[in-house]
Amino acid sequence: MRKLVMLIMAITLSVSHLWAQERTMTGKVTDDKGAPIPGASVIVKGTNSGTTTNADGVFSISVPAKATTLVVSSINMQDVEIVIGNQSVLNVTLQTSAKNLQEVVITALGISRDKRSLGYASQNIKGEELANKGEVNIVNALQGKVAGVNITNASGGAGSSTNINIRGISSFTGSNQPLFVIDGIPISNDVDRTNSGPNGTLGDNQPANRAIDLDINNVESINILKGPAAAALYGSRASAGAIIVTTKKGGSGKGKAEIIVNSNYSIQSAFGLPKVQNIYGQGAGGVFNSTTNNSFGPKFGSTPSIANGLIVSGTPVANYNAFPDNINDFFRDGNTFENNVTINTGDAVRNQTFSLGNVTQNGILYNTNFKRTDLRFGANAPVGEKMKVGGSITYTNTSQKGTIGGNNSGLASLLGLARNIDLTSYRVNGTYKNPNGTNNYLLPGVDNPYFDQYENPLTSNLNRFTGYANVGYDMFKWLNISYRLGGDIYTDRRKQIFAISSGRVPTGNVREEMFFRSEINGDLIIRATKNHLFLDGLSLTGLVGQNINQRKFQDLAVQGDALAIPGFYNASNGSVFTVGSGESTTLRRLVGYYGQASFNYNNYLFLELTGRSDQSSTLPKDKNTYFYPSANISFVFTDALKIKSDIFSYGKVRANYAKVGRDADPYLLNNLYVSEAFGNNVASFTFPFGTSAGFGASSRIAPIVLSPEFKTSYEAGVNLQFFKNRVALDVTYYSEDSKSQIINVAVPPSTGFSTFTTNIGELTNKGLEITASATVIRGKNFTWDLNANFTRQRNLVVSIAPGVDNTFIPGSRFTGSVASFKTGYPYGVIIGNVIPRSPDGQRIINPASGLYQPTVAGGILADPNPDYQFGVTNIINYKAFNLGFTFDFTKGGQVLSFTAATYKARGALDITAVDREQPHILPGVILDAASGKYYPNNIQISGQTNWSNGMGGLQSEFNVFDATVLHLRELTLGYNAPASFTKDLKLAGLHFGIFARNVFYVAPNSPIDPQLNTQGAGNIRGLDLQGVPNARSIGFNIKITI
Amino acid sequence: MKKLSFLFLIFISFTSCKKFLDVNTTPNNPTAVPPNTILPTTTIGMGFANSNDLDRATSALAQHIAGVGNQTAAYDVYNLDGNFDNQWNGEIYGINLSDLQILIDQYSETSPAYSGIAKLEMAYLFSIATDIWGEVPYSQAAQGLKFTNPRFDKQEDIYQGNSVLGITSLFDLVKSGLADLAKTSNVFVPGSDDIVYKGDRTKWARMGNTLLLKFAIQISNKNPALATSTIASVITGNNYINSNALDFEVPFAAPVGNQNALYTFNNLNRTGDQMLSTRLLNLEKSLNDTVRLAKFFTKPNGVFTSFDNGATGAAPALATRSKYNTYLTGTSGEAPIRLLTYAQVKFILAESALILGTTGVANTLYQEGITASMQKVGMTAAEISNYFTTNPTVVTLSGTTEQQRAQIITQKYISWIGNGIEAYNDYRRTGYPPLTLVNNAQGDNPNVIPTRLPYTITELSSNPNAPNPRPKTDVKLWFAK
Repeated sequence: MRKLVMLIMAITLSVSHLWAQERTMTGKVTDDKGAPIPGASVIVKGTNSGTTTNADGVFSISVPAKATTLVVSSINMQDVEIVIGNQSVLNVTLQTSAKNLQEVVITALGISRDKRSLGYASQNIKGEELANKGEVNIVNALQGKVAGVNITNASGGAGSSTNINIRGISSFTGSNQPLFVIDGIPISNDVDRTNSGPNGTLGDNQPANRAIDLDINNVESINILKGPAAAALYGSRASAGAIIVTTKKGGSGKGKAEIIVNSNYSIQSAFGLPKVQNIYGQGAGGVFNSTTNNSFGPKFGSTPSIANGLIVSGTPVANYNAFPDNINDFFRDGNTFENNVTINTGDAVRNQTFSLGNVTQNGILYNTNFKRTDLRFGANAPVGEKMKVGGSITYTNTSQKGTIGGNNSGLASLLGLARNIDLTSYRVNGTYKNPNGTNNYLLPGVDNPYFDQYENPLTSNLNRFTGYANVGYDMFKWLNISYRLGGDIYTDRRKQIFAISSGRVPTGNVREEMFFRSEINGDLIIRATKNHLFLDGLSLTGLVGQNINQRKFQDLAVQGDALAIPGFYNASNGSVFTVGSGESTTLRRLVGYYGQASFNYNNYLFLELTGRSDQSSTLPKDKNTYFYPSANISFVFTDALKIKSDIFSYGKVRANYAKVGRDADPYLLNNLYVSEAFGNNVASFTFPFGTSAGFGASSRIAPIVLSPEFKTSYEAGVNLQFFKNRVALDVTYYSEDSKSQIINVAVPPSTGFSTFTTNIGELTNKGLEITASATVIRGKNFTWDLNANFTRQRNLVVSIAPGVDNTFIPGSRFTGSVASFKTGYPYGVIIGNVIPRSPDGQRIINPASGLYQPTVAGGILADPNPDYQFGVTNIINYKAFNLGFTFDFTKGGQVLSFTAATYKARGALDITAVDREQPHILPGVILDAASGKYYPNNIQISGQTNWSNGMGGLQSEFNVFDATVLHLRELTLGYNAPASFTKDLKLAGLHFGIFARNVFYVAPNSPIDPQLNTQGAGNIRGLDLQGVPNARSIGFNIKITI
Repeated sequence: MKKLSFLFLIFISFTSCKKFLDVNTTPNNPTAVPPNTILPTTTIGMGFANSNDLDRATSALAQHIAGVGNQTAAYDVYNLDGNFDNQWNGEIYGINLSDLQILIDQYSETSPAYSGIAKLEMAYLFSIATDIWGEVPYSQAAQGLKFTNPRFDKQEDIYQGNSVLGITSLFDLVKSGLADLAKTSNVFVPGSDDIVYKGDRTKWARMGNTLLLKFAIQISNKNPALATSTIASVITGNNYINSNALDFEVPFAAPVGNQNALYTFNNLNRTGDQMLSTRLLNLEKSLNDTVRLAKFFTKPNGVFTSFDNGATGAAPALATRSKYNTYLTGTSGEAPIRLLTYAQVKFILAESALILGTTGVANTLYQEGITASMQKVGMTAAEISNYFTTNPTVVTLSGTTEQQRAQIITQKYISWIGNGIEAYNDYRRTGYPPLTLVNNAQGDNPNVIPTRLPYTITELSSNPNAPNPRPKTDVKLWFAK
């Protein structure tokens, strides 16, 4: 019994009971290089009495007379047992346990566990591996570092959204983003979209995923729980995995305050823009036309004539020459300046931490920025002997300024900009607007891209409080009760402006919008342990708990349209308030009960059983309770079979089974009526009409019955370590099956509706995850560590509903390239129109036109799912220098690029100038009606027709590209100033570094960086909808520890 | 004490949560609404469906306008594929037909005034669908889960009915609506929510009878007997739209969000996409009819500036282009969308008198039609009488029956500027006025003016009953010549 208690204590380093004092011992704990190890645990063997070392690695401990041995341990070090004898001063050297032998990880509900006991895959990343790399979004910072995780950002715009999926997609229409948990409290990683109306639907860049509010500097570690087994205790919400973030606590130095100052500055630039031609300018058919954005006009340098349009009303067109950088120069160098001060005091039991952080980022687009300031205070303290209280509160203010992209936006018109348009001079001379403030551009109905940037901003200002309070009470030595109450509340105030004369909103509008989200989460956890259960060496830790969760959301908007006074952006300036104004509120509650039994046999065989029963407000009242179990087993066979050797240091096999239930979204149970609207961005109508309301049936048909959906998962894995743990390998295979999903399944529009809510469908995921790490070289002055991860994931839509072959994924969709799920295909294929093919697979040409035959609807245009992905991180230390670099590679998958399509159809892409004036013949065959045979196409068409009609069209299969890409994601070089130097400055540490992110990429089969996903966080992938390009970042950082 | 406080916490946590969880009633949407909130939706919807993309495509195909940018330019050269999902999904079947079905299902018994209007509106919308696409979901359409994959009914069955397949004809649907309107016992009666006729059901009866005329002439090639008997019976009943004031026109208004689609498209959002077709301008010049044309199209700097359909050269400067005038757009989008007109009635009756032998003198009816159209667009009495005196050959039917028919349909074609669907219907039905291929034609068949619009992608990919691959746009519809 005591042993187990002691074990837990040793691991959590959280309790220090004092034994009957007999004598005091002191000493210093150092690593094999002689550096002090702060926070190491020193325990009297056979007792639960212990202490931890201070910042200088020094400890002082009272030991009873009969004590014989001290156990000294520290994270990532091999334990050492020291015979006390009659010494009073003990200096201990710990050897690095290269690979996680005693790795403590934070698992579900914030419980610290020895990784060896876990029967499921999880991957731990340290905060310091993510911070100081010029990346403000914590999700982006994880790119390339975690097996089984797919991360794609929407763009390089300031504060853009990032999608993260763990082990692929398992819910057809629900969220597949993992649950973010900070210090045991679930927080929102939602995306709140402004203007899902006609001005923002297509190609709109999504605002940030709200995990962006997290300051990476505050992160101690992140543990990624990949499968349902790992996250079973979190219930429904973690069915897509969980990202468990543990923030830094005070107490790294015993009784001594520590001040850490961290600063970094970096510069961002747009990268990955397609290559353009600079031979032909504005026009069509070789004739100049000043009102088109297409570059199919005459060759630069042509003699002006009336025929080629370069003489208009008797005068030659001025400045008809190429502006080769007219697209590149639209972007500027952005910069990011990040500062963080952290003050830690106290020890492992009683501690305080305070931090203040700020990031200011000026985006790569003019007049865009991202700013975040966060203030955090956390403390832990014992109350009496048996009670501990702790808590933390973080205030974050995040502000963002950007523009809305999409149809008719300046950003869309920038793509493949006609080669002779001198865009930059509009900015330099301030002539993007007329003296009266209206849009000035040579293309009718389109915003000057600078006008959009400067005059049509979307701003966001978010205030967020996240915090928790925790009370733990050791009722008995073997029983602990704790209650943790957490909250995450934010209000995001947005303002979107469209100036009068904007292409999309000619009469101008002002939209004031407020998003409110709050989540309250309470967990009651009762934990008990029993050692020597039935037999020696078998211990049991039991846990029962109850969870209450409430989530509230409100979106409140007032929109003033048809502005009276130019440049006055208060809603009162509008004359119509019925378009886009409104309120949407949701409230959902869940009560869950859970239990867990963890058996440990001699610290090499572990079995864990869990069960959870949830009751959700979103399900029909008589069917709102659902139960789901999990079981996992872990067997450290090297210990059990005593086959540990210098070569084979550690071996563990693990397996698990889990089932997880999931509730519905709120308010799905009834048929509803909505205030109707017609049309889209080119013409629309909104009710009320004068004083007449206009309601109608919602396009969704309510379910007849609805029950929770379930996902079943099996997983098996092995951990192997070799050469005294210098080489480690972790292999996981999993298979998941999600059934009876709650889907708004598409029905044919001719039913009068677009979807029907029902429980239906089956989706499977199978995958292989490998992580490998090795200390390639370990010398006195030189070490080289290598971490690699590999992911192969296969997903299959087994069935949807009887008679339903495919359904669109909810979200904005562009008919003709609809992200969908289709029976027999992986999730997320883009369904669109495909050119018919001959029996031998060649595209068929229409003999009447020389172009392709009319496309056939419902074909698979693109499949965004990659074949496999891997990432490699190298860290090389040489004396005080360290060099790190991370590559990630994605093989396969496809992206449909509207960006590339636009460049091409507008005649701006470099290839469109090749042999432009020669006749073109599209690759394909023609059906000879008489013989029924196909012969090769021989119909000549013009270069323009070839590019803008034959291979043109935003949604053409010619704009689908293989997304294979290699990124050098990260490059860092650091220098730790020597102690001799820092001592003189009275500093505890000084670190300099330079870093680069998105250094380069190689995408052999794509004209753009295919790792872009305009839709950001969500289930729609594989679409580049004329978004902002990715950004490259280069900078330096300095970290001072006092 | 501490132990007690923990027990208290546990107690709080475990107390009954039935009430706590009873929060799934949406505060955002009603679950039931009265009929007077639905009728404005469907009525505006009809006007919107008629004047949005379907109008732009058919106006380009009918060569009223020439496309110079974006989709309209594509429509102009017959690149029609993949464009009309919003119309099929959200302007015809979704919203409009589904809401009309609700009015019919919920109010036939208690408030037949609503179901009567709903049936007339429904007949109009289905006629648009079949006139544009041919075979479309009809008898099984817009009924939600009752038919999850609605059957595509043949156009002849939609117009004529098919008892074997359980298909009620459009004629019978209208008649059923007229019968409902005649009933007097109503719980709810339309008032100001009837944005066209302000609750005057006698005017709706006129609208219904006018629909019968429109349907009859539409099928006159294929079923002249039914056309003749229907028109004869409507003439006898003498209860159809018989003045410009009674035109069935859907009102719109100047405030943002309430403007008509012709205005929002041409004057606000896509100012550079479409303009007067050179072919229409030439026709009107040949008829000396430019005074009327100036009511439909603007004359910047006092001249008409047109663009030839499909031409690749530079379009004229934006400010100089002739675009829809205020008769169609209003000064701020407040012009109504005209769906059934007095002029149309006169032209139908003239054509019917000519080819079907129904009551009336074709020439008189023809001249009444021209006069109605000229009055409607706002020509003065002096301008009209001047036109009639100076252009006797235009305003008088002469020559063979076909030549006379060409005269009638040409005048009808002019009266329909702004409503491309009707002009395109008559062109496909009669071949008048004769149109020639656009320049640089593309699409399914660059040698034929499309005779239908392609089916929409969403329907094709979700409804196994949809004909996929779709028929090409050169396959004629049943009613066509």
